[in-house]
This record gives sequence, C-alpha cells and structure tokens, in this order.
Amino acid sequence: MKFLTLTTVAAFALVSFGAQAHGPTRKKVEETVEINAAPDKVWAVIGNFQDMSWLPPVEKTEGKGGNEVKATRTLTLKGGATVDEELYKYSAEKMSYSYRITKVDVKTLPVNDYSSTLKVEDAGGGKSKVAWDGAFYRGYMNNDPPPELNDEASQKAVRGLYRTGLDALKAKIEKSGS
Amino acid sequence: MIASRTGTGRRLAGPLLGLLLLGASARADEALVTAQGANTLAIVDLEAGSVAAQIPIDGAPAGIALSPDRRTAFVTRPEGPGLAVVDLATRTVTGTLALPGGPLGIAVNPKSGAVYVADWYGSRIFVVSPDGAQLDTEIQVGASPSGIAVTPDGATLLVANREGDSVSVVDVAAAREVQKIPVGRHPFGITLDAEGTRAYTANVTSNDVSVIDVPGRHELGRVTTGERPYVVALAGSRGFVTDQYSGTVTVFNLKTLTNVAAIEVGDHPEGIAASRDGRTLTVANWGSNTLSLIDATTLKVTGEIKVPDGPRSFGDFLR
Repeated sequence: MKFLTLTTVAAFALVSFGAQAHGPTRKKVEETVEINAAPDKVWAVIGNFQDMSWLPPVEKTEGKGGNEVKATRTLTLKGGATVDEELYKYSAEKMSYSYRITKVDVKTLPVNDYSSTLKVEDAGGGKSKVAWDGAFYRGYMNNDPPPELNDEASQKAVRGLYRTGLDALKAKIEKSGS
Repeated sequence: MIASRTGTGRRLAGPLLGLLLLGASARADEALVTAQGANTLAIVDLEAGSVAAQIPIDGAPAGIALSPDRRTAFVTRPEGPGLAVVDLATRTVTGTLALPGGPLGIAVNPKSGAVYVADWYGSRIFVVSPDGAQLDTEIQVGASPSGIAVTPDGATLLVANREGDSVSVVDVAAAREVQKIPVGRHPFGITLDAEGTRAYTANVTSNDVSVIDVPGRHELGRVTTGERPYVVALAGSRGFVTDQYSGTVTVFNLKTLTNVAAIEVGDHPEGIAASRDGRTLTVANWGSNTLSLIDATTLKVTGEIKVPDGPRSFGDFLR
C-alpha cells in the first residue's frame, strides 16, 4: 500500500540502504502551511518524534529513544505497510527536527536515501508557518528508471505526502480551537 | 601563501608560485556554483556577496574543475550525460562533450591539463582532452567513483570509490590503477594537501574522514565527523568537512587528527573550498540555496549568499 492512496496491502521485498549506488541528482521538495495558532501550540502537536498520529495515513507509531538523536520509530500505515525512521537532529528551542528513512519499500514511497526536516516558525499575529522539506533520490537507483520510480514520480509522491500531512495538521489544530 | 584547496585540481605550492599568486590576490575570489536544480552555473562575487552572472547548463550540473590557468571551467552534467566547457572570461559555454554513464566527479591534471571524469554508474574514469572536446581513454577503478584528486606533479590520481569503500591510486602515465586503499564506508569527496602527500576522504556512511598517506599508500587514521560527511577542505592547520545531514562543518586539527569544532551552516552542505589566502571557507548549502562563508581562524560564519536552486559545487570551485 502506498503512503497516500491506501489501496492495496502487500508484503514487498524491502529495499536495504547503503549497498547500492544512487543516481547523482538528489531531489528536494518543500511544502508549507500557515496555521492559525501559536507556534508552541503547533509544536506541541508535531514535536514528539514518537507520535505521527497527525499524519493521516499513519495508524501507529512505535519507537524508542524519545526525542534524542538516534531515536527510532516505525510507522505502520493503514493497510499494514511500515516505514522505519531515525531521528538525527532535534531542537525544541528551534521547533525543528530532522529524520531519515532507514527502511521503506519503494512501492510505499518511491524514494531512496530520504532525509527530512519538520519546522515550525512564527508567522506573526499568533500564526505559525510549518515547513516540511525532504531530500531524496528517486525510487530507482540506476539509469533509465521505470515511470513509477523516476524523479517525477518520487517528487510527486513526497509532495503529495507533505501536502496531505500539512493540510490535515492545519485542519486538526484549527478545529480544536485555540 | 596557502594554496591548498578542497576537491580537485589546484595544488600549487612553493615560494615562486606563492609570489605569482600574490599578484592576483587583489581580485576577490569568485565562487563557481553548480546549481543543480536551476540548471545553471552561477558566478558569485564573494566580496560583493551576490551572484554576478548565471550561465545556463542543462543536465543537472554538479561537479566542477578548472583548467591549470584557471580560465576554463569543466562542469559535469550527470543527466546530460556529459561535460560542459565554460570560458570564464566571456562567461559562455564554449563546448559540450557527451559521455556515457553518470559523469559526476571531475578533476584536471595540473601539469597536462587532461580532464578526469568519474562515472558514477560504472567503475571507470574517463580521460578527456585538455580542451574538453574528446574522450581519449578510460581507466578502470572501484565501484561508483566520485571524488578525484590529482597530485601536484600530475603523476597520480586518487579516486574515492563510493560503493567500493576504497580509494584507487592511479598511475597517470600508465593509465591504470596500481592500488586500492581500503577506507571507511562510502568515501565521496577526496582532497589532497598542497604537497600531495596526504589525502582526506569523507566517508559518507561511517561518519568519518579517512586520512591517507599518499606515498605509503595506506590509511593513517580517522577523524569523526557529523552525519553524512561529504567533502573536505584544508586551510592552515585545519581540515573542514561538510556534514550533509547535520548541517554543520566539522573542523579538525590536521596534525593530531582531533576535533576542534562543529560550525552550524545551511541545510545539506556539500561543496567546500578555502580561499586563496586561506582565511575563508566557502560552503555550498544544497538544501538552503545559499553559500556560507566561514572565517578559518575564528570559526564563525561571517556571511551568507543566496544562490540559485540546488548548489553543489562538487570540486574545485573557487578562483
């Protein structure tokens, strides 16, 4: 199943990192959302690495190490696919954390060597801006990728994930009132 | 005069060259920034702190090296795939060369002017004519060659083999690999000191730098870095390493191989190089589309310059 489409459930062979070459052109995606709530209120929702419940496709977050660097989490998506992630930077003061995916099936998210940062900024007037950015290589590690694993497909998937997540976050926080 | 540089190509040393360089040092350094996302080579005036010109280069430009006279830039285009030749006086692309595979790392022989291009998808170095017009031959090295450094005498190439976890020593005259030196995991950038006796390669996944005794052809030691070290620059008695994931530059002592500091820079720092006078380090931050300038003595960030999308500057990018 995919992070977004949530259609099929299947057990796929997992891609292991590090043992293969990746293409020379890493891609990046950034999506942002403005939320009508103070930054600390937004950070309270997303600032716990061990809780990704605000991201719609995620059914369960299990991990260890809290918010310490090298903490890990496994996201179980609706339908059963999993994504393993590791925290490599965390600052409550800057309201920002960075993590990378250590294991994911390219059929779930067509990326390799994926790293990402979530950050809350003060947008003034009691509002916040949340930025979610990612850096990654496409799902297929060599020349001549199939269409579902090419640069465009991987960027589209990540952009879609961020958009879904940020829009849901905004709805959740603004609905809950401030 | 310190002439050591990060990346590849320029390895000048000695009093005579020092004097010659002093004559040119009145002019501010120029940073040649391969902006991979923007498909452009940005010429950055480091004194003015702004982009002075942009030269469109398609094919996701990444690696860069300069001719021995510093008048010509050679830029790799992994998605060309191939090479672009840029005249830096007129700021125009004067030629392109199609190459197979995934050309990424690049260096120029300081004596012969031959251009070496690493094929990321293969296990070979392309040897291109000094004018960048013709592929002369290939040299087999380890898997996924990335950074290339050339000794000042032009006799030896060192190639970091990312997937091979090794550094290839290549005899230029014989055009063949003579040794593979095991290093850390996934070496990427490789930098030689001014004398060509020590090399430093950043091991991306073991989070350290391997220090290589070049004449002895073995690893001397390791320095721990931040997460995902990428490229090493040398200035004075210190080494400076970009840490992609940490968003820092790790500073270490070249004699003791111990850590001195970690300097916060932009997101996903990649290329790094020392200025001619050794006083300033310039860092290309791929994620944040900026250059960070670092004072080599105080280890403070003294400036930030906006550049086009996806700056990599992998190689010899200051002049």
